[in-house]
Amino acid sequence: MIEFKNVSKYYPANSLREEKAALKDISFLIKEGEFVTLCGRSGAGKTTILKLISCEEKPSSGAVLFENQDTGEIKKGETYLLRQKLGFIFQDYKLLSYKTIFENVMYALEVSNNSKEATENDVIQVLDLVGLKDKMNCFPWELSGGEKQRASIARALIHRPKVILADEPTGNLDPYNSRDIIKLLLKINEASSTVVLSTHSKEIVNALKKRVITLEDGRIIRDEENGRFFL
Amino acid sequence: MIKKIKKIFKASWTGLKRQGFLTLATSIVIFVAVVLGTSLFLFQGGVSFLTDAIKEKIDVSVYFKDYVSREEILKIREEVAKLDEVKKVSYVSPEEAYENFVKTHQGDSYLESLEAIEVNPFLPSLVIQTKEPSQYKVVSEFFKKEEYASLVYEIDDYKRGEIIDRLSDIASKIRNFGLFLTLFLSLIAVIVTFNTLRLSIYSQREEIEVMRLVGAKNSFIRAPFLIQGALCGLFAAIISFVLFFLVLFFFNNNLKNLLMDFDAFVFYKENLLMVLLIQLLIGVGLGLISSFFAVKKYLKD
Repeated sequence: MIEFKNVSKYYPANSLREEKAALKDISFLIKEGEFVTLCGRSGAGKTTILKLISCEEKPSSGAVLFENQDTGEIKKGETYLLRQKLGFIFQDYKLLSYKTIFENVMYALEVSNNSKEATENDVIQVLDLVGLKDKMNCFPWELSGGEKQRASIARALIHRPKVILADEPTGNLDPYNSRDIIKLLLKINEASSTVVLSTHSKEIVNALKKRVITLEDGRIIRDEENGRFFL
Repeated sequence: MIKKIKKIFKASWTGLKRQGFLTLATSIVIFVAVVLGTSLFLFQGGVSFLTDAIKEKIDVSVYFKDYVSREEILKIREEVAKLDEVKKVSYVSPEEAYENFVKTHQGDSYLESLEAIEVNPFLPSLVIQTKEPSQYKVVSEFFKKEEYASLVYEIDDYKRGEIIDRLSDIASKIRNFGLFLTLFLSLIAVIVTFNTLRLSIYSQREEIEVMRLVGAKNSFIRAPFLIQGALCGLFAAIISFVLFFLVLFFFNNNLKNLLMDFDAFVFYKENLLMVLLIQLLIGVGLGLISSFFAVKKYLKD
């Protein structure tokens, strides 16, 4: 489903810093339905991999393939079609503070112009799935960190993405909420979506017992099924 | 399609309401630009009015010797009127010249001297206006022809050329200055509007990011911001249009004195559509262009 072929990513030098290599010649394949954890220290290249998958960034060399299509060959202005197949979850939630939870999730449907099949009922269903049906009329500032992250997961799920990209989703949460979020991601993975999770939490990686790709200084140093945290 | 358009307009309107102060600030900045543009349009109208008024007052008087009969002068008038450059020729008899002099010099000592000599010293004349002030030379040349030279006592074009040239020079300098001022102030207006809108869009960057990540098309993301910019411009243009109308309506007499009889209100009314078009073009155009460039920064593919 997602394939990296000898991908390198360099950020060019500017007046403040020298050229930085975020990824150095990495290759891997993520199959449909897999749950893959990217782990490594800050700056190891985890977020860069997610950005390359979502076409936020282009590789300096090599190729990133999504469903056998080279993302570098996607025409300008058509990346939105790829992003409609992805669901994003961030450490800082990125919920719109002036919209209720229901509106935040509905908004994702409205702007992606995907509302033909999906209806308000779908929003309620997905909020039910993440356990926020009772709080759908609350504003983000009325919710706890864990609840905000669940709302953000609901928004990521609403357009039925093929892949969920979760960038440090438990970074701002306590261990209990972190565990709930990971359970939710596993549930989503079992339901059908491929999940790519980026984290540097040892507890989460060890508890998951899923495939782990460990990165260090832009290189893959380990890639193993039922992997453990290794750093 | 209609549903999509409705969605975009709804998003624009929500954005405008939510931005409250920044919407007001943007509208005010565009309003200033529209007022500036409209003022410059009126200024150009005023300059044209003044130069035309001065040009109207410039004529060449050809005085004939006292023995030249009225019929002969009227014949010459017909010949002069045939010249392409001539706009208007009027015959002024000695009696009319006398009356005009009396009218314009009431209470002057000149009048007492005139009464003292007990004869009409004025000569018959032709007062000639050319289409362009610079064409006065053609008239002078016409009367220098052999057949007319003996009949003419004097051609009153003393230093007229110099005055006309200076006047044309001043008018063209005022126009150029106005044009320069328009361009300069427009550039400032564009920069200020662009920065105000950029600030407004910067405060909505999170929303743009969310829209991109959930797979919204760039055109769909851009549209509400363009509409917001255009709506701010539209508000500014409408307010400016009404304000100019009211100010000119209530203060026209004061302005008339100030602008050497230039009736700005009549000019505004006569050019109502043009004014509205200029105001809409400046307001909506400025809003659209500034929004387009301000939002572009956040729409990398």
